Amino acid sequence: MKKIWLIIQREYLTRVKKVSFWILTLIVPLLFAGIYAIPIIMATMPLEHSVVLVADDTHIFADSFQSTDDINYHSVASLDEARRRLQEDDSVSAVLYIPTRETTIPTDAFLYYRGDAPSMNVQNDVDHQLQTLLRNNILLDVHGISMDDYALISNTRIHLRTQDIETGREGFLEIKIVIGLVLAFLIFITIFSFGSQVMRGVMEEKTSRIVEVIMGSVRPFQLMMGKVIGIAMVGLTQMLLWIALSGIGLGAVQMANRDLFERAKPTEITQIATKGTDAVEQMAAAASEEKFPMKEVIEGLSSINFGLLAVCFLFYFLIGYLLYATLFAAVGATSDNETDTQQFTLPLTLPLLLTFLLVTQMMNEPGGTLATWLSIIPFTSPIAMMLRLPFGVPIWQVVLSAVLLLAAFPLCTWIAAKIYRAGILVHGSKVSWKTLWGWLRA
Amino acid sequence: MLIEIDHIKKSYGKHVALNDVSLQVAEGGIFGLLGPNGAGKTTLIRIINRILIPDEGEVRIDGHPLTDEDVEQIGYLPEERGLYKKMKVGEQAVYLACLKGLDKATATRRLHSWFERMGIDGWWNKRVEELSKGMQQKVQFITTVLHEPRLLIFDEPFSGFDPVNATMLKEEILALRDRGATILLSTHNMASVEELCDRIALIDHSRVVLSGSVRDIRTSYRRGRFRICTEGADATLNLPEGFHTEVEHADYGETTFTVDVPTGCTANELLQLAVAQTSIISFNEVLPTMNDIFIETINQLS
Repeated sequence: MKKIWLIIQREYLTRVKKVSFWILTLIVPLLFAGIYAIPIIMATMPLEHSVVLVADDTHIFADSFQSTDDINYHSVASLDEARRRLQEDDSVSAVLYIPTRETTIPTDAFLYYRGDAPSMNVQNDVDHQLQTLLRNNILLDVHGISMDDYALISNTRIHLRTQDIETGREGFLEIKIVIGLVLAFLIFITIFSFGSQVMRGVMEEKTSRIVEVIMGSVRPFQLMMGKVIGIAMVGLTQMLLWIALSGIGLGAVQMANRDLFERAKPTEITQIATKGTDAVEQMAAAASEEKFPMKEVIEGLSSINFGLLAVCFLFYFLIGYLLYATLFAAVGATSDNETDTQQFTLPLTLPLLLTFLLVTQMMNEPGGTLATWLSIIPFTSPIAMMLRLPFGVPIWQVVLSAVLLLAAFPLCTWIAAKIYRAGILVHGSKVSWKTLWGWLRA
Repeated sequence: MLIEIDHIKKSYGKHVALNDVSLQVAEGGIFGLLGPNGAGKTTLIRIINRILIPDEGEVRIDGHPLTDEDVEQIGYLPEERGLYKKMKVGEQAVYLACLKGLDKATATRRLHSWFERMGIDGWWNKRVEELSKGMQQKVQFITTVLHEPRLLIFDEPFSGFDPVNATMLKEEILALRDRGATILLSTHNMASVEELCDRIALIDHSRVVLSGSVRDIRTSYRRGRFRICTEGADATLNLPEGFHTEVEHADYGETTFTVDVPTGCTANELLQLAVAQTSIISFNEVLPTMNDIFIETINQLS
């Protein structure tokens, strides 16, 4: 026992002391914080001032374009004049031309520019104003519908709610899909990357020929399990650091940008306000609410059992990793170089890959036959169960899946230990499936 | 007996590596384990180290069957040896010593004194990959003997050493023997067998084909060959039928005769014949070398 502890210590410390470990540990939370911070920073950055000339042959839009803080709209009489000014005057950034067509309602508009294309901001604003103005024109002038009526119509909607008849909890599917996907992906990627670390570690010992020196002191099984457990602890350390640092990072971004937030908000509101009548504003408000239904997200979240989710996540990561890592160790022991391992790693990782490829099918029916079976079979259950858990899984299925996974672990370890013990001292010859079978029966 | 190997059998699939091998290694001295490639030496050594478990038979140490704890009394330098390349030399040596049951403080203290003696103390904090092959071999040797085991097993210890370091290694091995350790030396180098080993066992085709003390074996293989050195650059020696003589004239006024006598002829009889014809400077029996015995025994079997 003391020796296996020494091995675990070495495996853990040599990896945690590496610069690459810390780079990876820092990069992931920084990435999260960055994804969160960049849009905020972008929103608060001062925009370049642009001048857009409007040549409207239809006379529908003409002077109706509203200038904003950073875009000035000027009406001009003809396209020719606008084009001339675009060519001569450097302060003019674009020309908006709306030609007449046979239909009463214009179908297309052109935004001409010279040199650099107009910014996304300008294009969005032009597009937004075109749509709004055209809609106003059609509603009022052609059909005689008032803006208030329109707002009423467009805001009228029926709310479909999915509800558990026993608990009364509401399920909001999207947030569950997101949580299930993120957790399943995390399990997939960690089993894969830490498993191959085990494999490379075993190969390093085999090819550097230190393995026989160590075998003189410890049993092959101790060396193999020491490595597997040591790397599991590296994995847990990295995950905990990711969670902690991401939390700190996101908190820091929010703190640092609180002022920016405050400054950014009013301009957004004035922008919306300048874009049209009260009704338009209401529409915009309705649209933005539709994009992020906070209330439903919270309701959806509250229907998820996070305690169970956390316990299951740690369980499926740890046991799933152990299951695969011992087999990865066996594969490492069969090979002198990375290319020789491929014949074994592909079949070994196939259950993981397959489960991941079937994610969409399982998401369509989280309680369906496919998802249920995959979440019970040991090799696929770590991923499939994490996908299903946010939607709620009958407790007997979770227990069955966990028991089977736990039962599969000693079986895999037994198989892996046999292959490892025989393979680790064999050099020079490529190991075939037949040889492997021979070792297993020995 | 320190080690008793009792009717060991080991096979890999259909290939039989060791077939009913029995050996006794007494405490103290250097025991040579000889044999052509693929004879089963490494398998036997791995079984003594409990890296492999025999199919049949058992290994005893001090009369009791070998257990996992007993490997702490053994130091093993395998033929295929290496170190973790990215790990620092000192750290790694301490790790390997701790795996053999030493505590960290003792390991560090002993390592520093060994490193100083071997002239590599300045390399403590270097990574192994920065060391020359010879230095790595030294580190490996030190980690093998650091826990002061009673039994030391060296598998081809001299391979990879330059002559200077090989001599140094030889002296270290002799010093370990003088301090009471028992050494099991597996090698192809017959000169070092004659020089170092007290007893040997020759393994071929997974069996022990010859064993005993080096002196006894060489004497038992004596085949009536004598070397007579005489005065005079052109001395002659006429011997009766049945004698076979090879003559070698040296430039400095001496002639050497190597004589194979017929069966039954004693040294005295040859000497009487020679005394009558030449003036003798020296006379001695030529014992077969271990190399000759090795080749003869292996050829006889195959």
